[in-house]
Amino acid sequence: MERFNPIVVFMYFALTSGIAMLCMNPIMQTIALVGAALLFLIRRAGRRGGHLPMLAFALLACVINPIFSHNGATVLFFVNGNPFTLEAVIYGAVCGVMLLAMLYWFRSFSALMTSDKILYLLGRISPKIALTVSMALRYVPLFSAQMRKTAQAQRAMGAIRADDSLSRIRGGARVFSVTLTWALENGIVTADAMEARGYGEGRRTSFAIYRFHRRDAALTAVILLLGGGIYYGVFGGFAAYQYYPIVTVRQDTAALLTYGAYALLTALPSTIEAGEIIRWKYLQSKI
Amino acid sequence: MIVIRSARVRRALKIVLPFIVIPAVVAFGVFAVRGKHHLFVSTAVALLSLALFLCGFEKRKIGSRRAVLVSVMIALSVLGRMFPVIKPVTVFAMLSGMFLGPEAGFLVGAFSALISNFWAGQGPWTPFQMLAWGLIGFFAGVLASPLKRSRFLLYAYGVIAAVAFSMVMDVWSAIWLAGAFSLDVYLAKMLTSVPHTLLYAVSNVIFLICFAKPFSEKLERIRIKYGI
Amino acid sequence: MEILTVKNLSFRYAMNEAPTLKDLSFSVSEGEWVVICGATGSGKSTLLRLLKRELAPVGEMQGEILFDGRPLESLPVRRSAQEIGYVMQQPEQQIVTDKVWHELAFGPENMGVPSGEIRRRVAEMASYFGMEELFLRDTGSLSGGQKQLLNLASVMVTGPSVLLLDEPTAQLDPIAAADFIATLDKLRRELSLTIVLIEHRLEEVLPLCDRLLVLENGSLLTYAPPKQAVAALAGREALLLSMPCAVRLYHELPPSSETGEPPLDIREGRAFLRENYRNGTASLPEETKRAEKEKALSFDHVCFRYEKSGKDILSDLSFHVSQGECFCILGGNGAGKSTALSVAAGLLKPYGGTVRLFGKKWKAYASEAPYGRELAYLPQDVTVAFSRNTVREELVGFGVATEAFPYDLTPLLDRHPYDLSGGERQLTALAMVTAKNPRVILLDEPTKGLDAHAKAAVIGVLRALRDRGAAVVCVTHDVEFAAELADRVALFFRGELISTDTPRRFFSGNRFYTTPVSRMTRGFFGNAVTVDDAVRLCLANGRREGAR
Repeated sequence: MERFNPIVVFMYFALTSGIAMLCMNPIMQTIALVGAALLFLIRRAGRRGGHLPMLAFALLACVINPIFSHNGATVLFFVNGNPFTLEAVIYGAVCGVMLLAMLYWFRSFSALMTSDKILYLLGRISPKIALTVSMALRYVPLFSAQMRKTAQAQRAMGAIRADDSLSRIRGGARVFSVTLTWALENGIVTADAMEARGYGEGRRTSFAIYRFHRRDAALTAVILLLGGGIYYGVFGGFAAYQYYPIVTVRQDTAALLTYGAYALLTALPSTIEAGEIIRWKYLQSKI
Repeated sequence: MIVIRSARVRRALKIVLPFIVIPAVVAFGVFAVRGKHHLFVSTAVALLSLALFLCGFEKRKIGSRRAVLVSVMIALSVLGRMFPVIKPVTVFAMLSGMFLGPEAGFLVGAFSALISNFWAGQGPWTPFQMLAWGLIGFFAGVLASPLKRSRFLLYAYGVIAAVAFSMVMDVWSAIWLAGAFSLDVYLAKMLTSVPHTLLYAVSNVIFLICFAKPFSEKLERIRIKYGI
Repeated sequence: MEILTVKNLSFRYAMNEAPTLKDLSFSVSEGEWVVICGATGSGKSTLLRLLKRELAPVGEMQGEILFDGRPLESLPVRRSAQEIGYVMQQPEQQIVTDKVWHELAFGPENMGVPSGEIRRRVAEMASYFGMEELFLRDTGSLSGGQKQLLNLASVMVTGPSVLLLDEPTAQLDPIAAADFIATLDKLRRELSLTIVLIEHRLEEVLPLCDRLLVLENGSLLTYAPPKQAVAALAGREALLLSMPCAVRLYHELPPSSETGEPPLDIREGRAFLRENYRNGTASLPEETKRAEKEKALSFDHVCFRYEKSGKDILSDLSFHVSQGECFCILGGNGAGKSTALSVAAGLLKPYGGTVRLFGKKWKAYASEAPYGRELAYLPQDVTVAFSRNTVREELVGFGVATEAFPYDLTPLLDRHPYDLSGGERQLTALAMVTAKNPRVILLDEPTKGLDAHAKAAVIGVLRALRDRGAAVVCVTHDVEFAAELADRVALFFRGELISTDTPRRFFSGNRFYTTPVSRMTRGFFGNAVTVDDAVRLCLANGRREGAR
């Protein structure tokens, strides 16, 4: 997926998560979770961990809904005179599934859309702000190194100490203040360098190293086709569902077609990733 | 490529976005409220408002010095957020808004959220955080002169900002946890986040006490020496 | 063809009474390389900034500046940004964006060049400057030399015909500086680029340039090809200090009608000595060994690495410095000299060996660090030491007795630390850390970015501190500084110290890593390492009979 133009990647995630947010259909949400988890697992192949906090968040969603919602026909039991219904539990579970799917999508998305790709997208909307953010991205590690240097120097001057927490806080404030002065004063030199290179005169273009290749066009076409179909399905009521009073989900041909399209769409990035891995394995075996 | 090259289309978009698209999305949300599309609507509104603000700023001329100072402030507040417990983003957005203008306040708030989330974790909450912090900075800029005049107002704004930020983010949590907005869940969420909000408000005030004065002095020096 | 013409230029800053520049007139032809030199405060930077419209300081200007026959201020905005490139001193602060490729594209982006065209130009620049490997890197991850080359490349990408540079090599180590100068020379030869350069390290540049422009208190002292310009400097001590050693030697020896043109570089200097002086007494007497005093700082088989799996930065490092001694550690970039100093200052903990201060282990200080009274440490960038709004507040905060400090700081008292020149900052910071008369003073590159005058002041102060009994340890690239100041010099190589010796023996023993004077006099004199040494030997030997 890294090889595709960021715009295409962004469009994919926007479209897919948009559908997930629009349609709480349990089947669709399950499909989304499978697709999202698959992509996450393939990209993280060999590495473990990172699932627990997400699972906890999703579980919370499962529990919260039945506590607050008492709709539904199948009462399981009463708590303080309030009914605890099967439908509410199912709805809560689907919420949990959606949250989990969303978190998985975002984990993969932020791994794919590194800061410079976000910056590229931002540059399409506003070149000036993209530049400001790019500068900030440069400053973060620079300032953090400078704070370290300042802390060392101030410590060696006997100006700050680390005896107890109060002196540590005072020292931290001093380091921060010194770094702030340094950053502001040096920023002016940077501003001069920008002026010298013609900043601020006339319209800026926003250059990026990403290009739009044939494969990007092909992927865009597939995404738009599938996405359009699914949105048509969702808004046309083909994927209709209800939770209360009892859970029903449409399961006729039109509905199955919509689900199928959604399954294809969510499986798309994992298929691409897997294809890439297999191709390299194959090529390597031939060398 | 999906690039808006022509300036005319961009200008048109700027008019279309606020006056048509956002009301349309909200109307759609209200209309479709039976289907409880709160997730979609809220996210779309947050994203569109962000886009609207950004397009608005693109029109302004940002001088090189202001641009540098804004990015300095973003970087510093991102660094501040990396320390445990304390989150000085609100205070930095406020100070930037007050001393560098509302746009600067918005940019510092919004992009501190975006950039720090590269470390803290991106999620569906990112646009909400961007918007919430951005608006805190923006309004601090709008209210710059009273805030500069009265220390009490400044601290009060710090407290209000903390509460408002928590309330906005609780809306987000409530919607996402329950799949749709429900007042009960929202109130419960707010109740659970009271200690956190209090801590946040107190830390904002402490930061303001510590940094407001030296910051304005340092900035004033830069302003006089280099004429911004 | 004259590309830059300055006519009767005078300039006065808004807040100053006296003019900074007085009635300057000169012109620069296309493809010429002009070097501007002069003491601090002579108006060099002001002049250079006036030549770049976007950076022109605020004030009252008289006279005319013509670019390509047109008044500078009448140039179209874009052309002015594009045609005149400007590179400043600090490599770090000129970089704008976070990626190398974006930095290269920054200029063309500002000028609204379409993406396709930018792609080509950026690729072209990266190839020409050999930066393909760096193309996708973060700008923060580059070395100082690479950063400055990137700055040059990202100015060149818009295709300027004039390049203005304000001390571009001052912050670089000698190897990176030579690299940078070589690149400039290549640009001039291959593109007929016009270069105007301010420089205080003239050793490499002077032989390459076409003309030297010397400013004195805002007036044009001379503007001529280097040999003539240098000849006009006789008797001007302050200006001569920054000249190459051959020129200094020429001017320090008694003038004579027969000596001919001044030599500019090592080769000409050698020829000059051979033709004019005898070398019967080839060597100066060795310094008598100083009585060994108490060991102030000692390293015993110290090993250090930053990460467990990393490589050793210090491996089995052993040395000691006595009270009342100046010890200079020389060595290449990134060799770990600064790390050694941080370990000495107790800021980093070694994993093996022991560091002792006056025989007491560093570990024993754990509860109360000996900073201030026993030990002072100054990092490379001294701005990290400043936290107040005026020098006075800083000095009072540290309890500095201004009159006891061997340099007069009173003129600086009411200034902001960031408004000081590099040398003044260094001296102020030095006064702050030595307020409580520490017995060990550790300095990291104390002469980085300083001009010859400030360097002499720093040397004076450090000598005075040493004579009061402090042990002074400097880590430096600056061989001439080490030769002037040190009692002992050592070469740091691969984590340990190699060949520790007195400067005279150390430098006359090295063939490459040595002072220019030592290289110039090799084989002629035995152990001359500073200009003073060479002068003494010349005078002792006397002029050659029948010298031309």
